Amino acid sequence: MNAPESPRSFEREKPEFPNPLPRPDDEFEKLKKAWKAPKGISFITAVNNTYVGLWYVGTAFLFFVLAGILALIMRAQLTVPESDLIGHDLYNQLFTMHGTVMMFLFAVPAVEAASVYLLPNMQAARDLPFPRLSAYAFWAYFVGGLVFFATIFFGLAPNTGWFMYPPLSSLKYSPADNADWWLLGIGFIEISAIAGAIEIIVGVMKTRAVGMSLDKMPVYSWAMLVFAAMIIVGFPAIILGTLLLELERAFDWPFFIAERGGDPLLWQHLFWFFGHPEVYIIFIPATGMVSMIVPAMAQTPLIGYRLIVLALIATGFLSFGLWVHHMFATGLPKMSLSFFSAASTAVAVPSGIQVFAWIATIAAGRIRLTTPSLFIIGFLFIFNLGGLTGVMVAMAPFDWQAHDTYFIVAHLHYVLIGGMVFPLFAAFYYWVPVASKRALSERVGRWVFGLMFVGVNVTFFPMHITGLIGMPRRVYTYPVGMGWDELNLVSTVGAFMIAAGVALFLVDLARNFRFASEENAGNVWNAGTLEWLPNGNYATRSIPHVVSREPLWDQPNLSEDVEAGRYYLPGTATGGREALVTSPFDARPQYILQIPGPGWQPFLAALFTAAFFLLLTVKAVFSSAVCGVLAIGCVIWWLWETDPGPVRPPADIGGGHTVPVYVTGPMNHSWWAMIALIVVCGMIFTCLIFSYLFLWLVNPSAWPPAGVVPTDLPPGGIAAVLYAASALLIGAASRRLRGEDRRSPASVPLLIAGAVVLLAAAPALDLRTHWETALSPSAHAYGAAVYGIIAFQILFVGTSLIMGLYTIARWLARKLDSVRRTTFDNTMLFWYYTVGQGVVGLLVVYGFPRLVGGP
Amino acid sequence: MAARRAWQVFIMLGGLFAWAAQFTILYGATSTICALDRAGATVLGIGIIPATIIGGTVAALAAAAAVLAHALRRHRALQAADASAADVFMSQAAILISAFSLAAIAWHGLPAFILPACA
Repeated sequence: MNAPESPRSFEREKPEFPNPLPRPDDEFEKLKKAWKAPKGISFITAVNNTYVGLWYVGTAFLFFVLAGILALIMRAQLTVPESDLIGHDLYNQLFTMHGTVMMFLFAVPAVEAASVYLLPNMQAARDLPFPRLSAYAFWAYFVGGLVFFATIFFGLAPNTGWFMYPPLSSLKYSPADNADWWLLGIGFIEISAIAGAIEIIVGVMKTRAVGMSLDKMPVYSWAMLVFAAMIIVGFPAIILGTLLLELERAFDWPFFIAERGGDPLLWQHLFWFFGHPEVYIIFIPATGMVSMIVPAMAQTPLIGYRLIVLALIATGFLSFGLWVHHMFATGLPKMSLSFFSAASTAVAVPSGIQVFAWIATIAAGRIRLTTPSLFIIGFLFIFNLGGLTGVMVAMAPFDWQAHDTYFIVAHLHYVLIGGMVFPLFAAFYYWVPVASKRALSERVGRWVFGLMFVGVNVTFFPMHITGLIGMPRRVYTYPVGMGWDELNLVSTVGAFMIAAGVALFLVDLARNFRFASEENAGNVWNAGTLEWLPNGNYATRSIPHVVSREPLWDQPNLSEDVEAGRYYLPGTATGGREALVTSPFDARPQYILQIPGPGWQPFLAALFTAAFFLLLTVKAVFSSAVCGVLAIGCVIWWLWETDPGPVRPPADIGGGHTVPVYVTGPMNHSWWAMIALIVVCGMIFTCLIFSYLFLWLVNPSAWPPAGVVPTDLPPGGIAAVLYAASALLIGAASRRLRGEDRRSPASVPLLIAGAVVLLAAAPALDLRTHWETALSPSAHAYGAAVYGIIAFQILFVGTSLIMGLYTIARWLARKLDSVRRTTFDNTMLFWYYTVGQGVVGLLVVYGFPRLVGGP
Repeated sequence: MAARRAWQVFIMLGGLFAWAAQFTILYGATSTICALDRAGATVLGIGIIPATIIGGTVAALAAAAAVLAHALRRHRALQAADASAADVFMSQAAILISAFSLAAIAWHGLPAFILPACA
C-alpha cells in the first residue's frame, strides 16, 4: 500500500520529528474524547486494554487466592496423620480444583491478562487490534470461572484429578455431573484463552511503534508471540479431548472404553500434548517479564538478546516433544520413552541459555536490590531447583520410582511457583507504577518476598523427602509411623507462611494501588522501554519512532516529544478510536486501523456463551440452546458494526506518511486473525485424525470391526464434489466482487447462496449414507471415530453457513462491495478451510479402512 | 514481498521444522511398527525400526545442515550489502536456530543405538 516493506529500514540514524509544534488546539481533546471510558453502569462495556487488562489481572489473582485457600485446607488436613478434618470426597474435590483453578483459571489467564495490559503500552500501540475480543475473552472467563469455582460449595466440583483420566472420569466410575463441570467448563475457558492468543499474535506482529523492527522488539513481545503460537497449536488437543470425553459420557461413544475398542491412553496423549507445553506456556511469558525487569534493575541492556530469542523459539518447539514424559509409567515401549526423555533433557538447554543471559546482565550492570530484584533472584533459585529435579524425572527409570509420589508434587511446585509465580510478583512490583498513581511499598515488598521465599522452600523442599520415602500423591490422610509426620507438619507451616506473604501483598495493594488512566507514578525504575512513556486511555499521545531496544535510554527527551505530539498520529484521523498498523518485520506505517469502542455486545455475547456451556453441563438443554442462539445473535450484532470501510481518504500521520484508513487482503489485521483461527481449527482436526489412527492401532485387526462393512465409495465421492463445487462458487463470488457494479444484477449473493446449499448438502449426504449402513457410534470405537469426524465437520459447515448468510445480509444492507470486502474475505478463508477439512475427512473415513485391508 | 518474508521465516525456523519432522517420524513410525507387531521386518538387511530412525535422523540432519549453509551464505551476502536490521537479525536467528537444531536432532537419534525396538 502506501508504505510497502523494503529491505531498507529505519536504522539507527536519529529520526526527524514527523510532526511540527505547536499542535492544533483541539487535537489532543478530540483524541481524549475518542478514548473516553464509559461512565456509570456502562463502565462494564469498556473494551480498551487499560481497563480490560486490569480486570483480567485482578480476576486471575482472585483465582490464585481462591485456589491457594483450597491448598491451605488440604495442608491443614495433612498436618497430622489420621486427621478427620475433612473427608476423602471433599479432599478429592479440593486437589482437583486446586490444580484445575491454578492452571486454567490463574496461570494462563494471568500471563495473558498481563499482556493485554502491557503489550500495547510496551509497543506504543493505542490498543490491541481487537479490543472487543479481549473484552469477550475476559467476561467469558470471569463468568464461567466464577460459576465453575462455585461448584465446590455444592459438592459438584470435579473430583478425579486436574487431568481427568478416564476410566476414572468415565460415566461408569463418575456418574454424577462433577466431571461434566470440568469438561464443559474448562473446554469453554480454553476457547477464551485461544481468543486472547489470536489477539496477541496479531497485536505483536502488526501494532508496534514505528521503527520497532523484529531486532528491536522487546523480549516480552517475543515471549508473548511464542506463547500465543504455542496456545494455538497446543490447546486444540485438550479441546478435542474434552469434546470426545463429553461425547462418551453424554452419548456413550466409546473413545476411551477398552471393552469396545477405545483406549484410555488416547486421553492421556491428547491431554499431555496440551498439558506439557502448558508448563512452558506459563513459563515463557514469565521469562519475558524477567528479561524486561533485569535490565531495568541492572541499568544495562540485556545481554544475549539474539540467544534469548533463540531460546524462546527453541523452547516453544521442543516443549511439544515432551508430553509422553508424563506417561512413562504406562507401559509404552522403552525406545518410544527414550525419545521423550531426550527431548526432556534437551529443553533444559534453552532454559539454561536464558538463565545465563540474566546472570550475565546482572553481572554487567549494577543491580539494585529492590523488591522486583528479590523476586527475580528468588525465581532463579527456586526455578533452577525445579529444573534440576525436572532433569531427574526426565530419566524414565527414576520417574518409575518417583511417579505419583510427593517428589513429583515438590518438583512441579518448584517449577511452577519458581517459574511463574515469582516472576509474576516481580512484575506486580515492577509494573504497578504504570497503572497506579503510587508504587507499591518497597518495605512491605521485602517482607512479602521473604515470607513467600522461605514459605515455598519450607513447604515444598520436605516433599522431595516425603516422596522419596514413599508418600503417594492425592491421599487425604496417612497412618502414623510411616516417617511422614514431621515432614508434613513442616510443609503445612510453610504453606501458611506463603499465605501470610500473599495476604501482606494484598494489604500493600489496598494501601498503595490507586488506578491511574493518566498521571501514573511514572518511570520510577528509570527503565528504557516504551511502557514507561506518559500515557492515558489512548496510550501515548503520539506514536514514537524508535531506533533501539531501550528507546528511553537512547533517545533523549523521547517522553516529552511523544507527549507534545511530535511523533506519528498525534490526534485522531477518523474521529474515532484508531491504531497505527505497521509492517510485521520492519515496522513501517501501513494503515490506520479503525478500532471499535465500548459496547454491550462483547459482554452479552460472553454472558450467553458462558450460560450455554454451563446450562449444558446440568443438562438444561433447551435453556442452553436458547442461550447459544442469543450468544450467536450478540456476536452478529457486534460484528455488524465492524468492517467500516474507507470512511475517509488516506490520512497524513506525519513524517511524509499518508496512509489509508482501510485495507483488505493479506495486509489486513483480520486476515491474519482468520489465518490464526484456521491454524487452531486445523490443529483440532489433526488431533481428531490422530485419534482415529490411534484407535486403529489399538484395533488393527478390527478396523472396521467384524460385522461392519465400510461405507460405499460413491456417496463419499459425491460429497467431495459438492464440497469442491461450493468452494468454486465462493471463488467465483470473490472474482465477481472485485469488479461488481452494484447497479447491475447482483450475482455475488446468488453465488454465495448457491455455495451455502452445496456446502450443507455434502455432510448431510455423508451422514445419511453412514446412518443407512446401520453403523452405530456407540457399538465400537470405529463407529465413534467415524461419527466423530462427521460431527466435527457438521459443526464447521454450520459455522460456514451462518457466515455465508451473514455475508449475504451485509450485501443486502449495502455494507459489502468491491472495496469494503473484509467480511467476505474472512468468510471465504473459513469456507475454503471447511471444504478442505471436509475432503480430508472423507478421504480418511472412506479410504483408510480400505487402505489397511478392509473389504 | 510477502513471499520473500514467508521464505525468511521458513528458513529462520527451518532447523526446528526438521527436528519436528524427525521427532514425528521416529515416534510415529516406531509406535506404529510396534503396535502392528512388524518389528521383525528388515530393510536392506537392517531392522525396520533402526533403519527408520537412522534414515529419519540422517534426512533431518541433512535438512538442518542445508538450512544452516543457506543461512550462512545469506548472512554473508547481507553483510556485504546494506541490508536492513530486520533482515540481518533474521539471518542471525536462522544460523543460531539451525545450529541448535543439528545438536537436538543428533541427540534424538541416539536411542536407536542403545535400546531394543519394542521392548
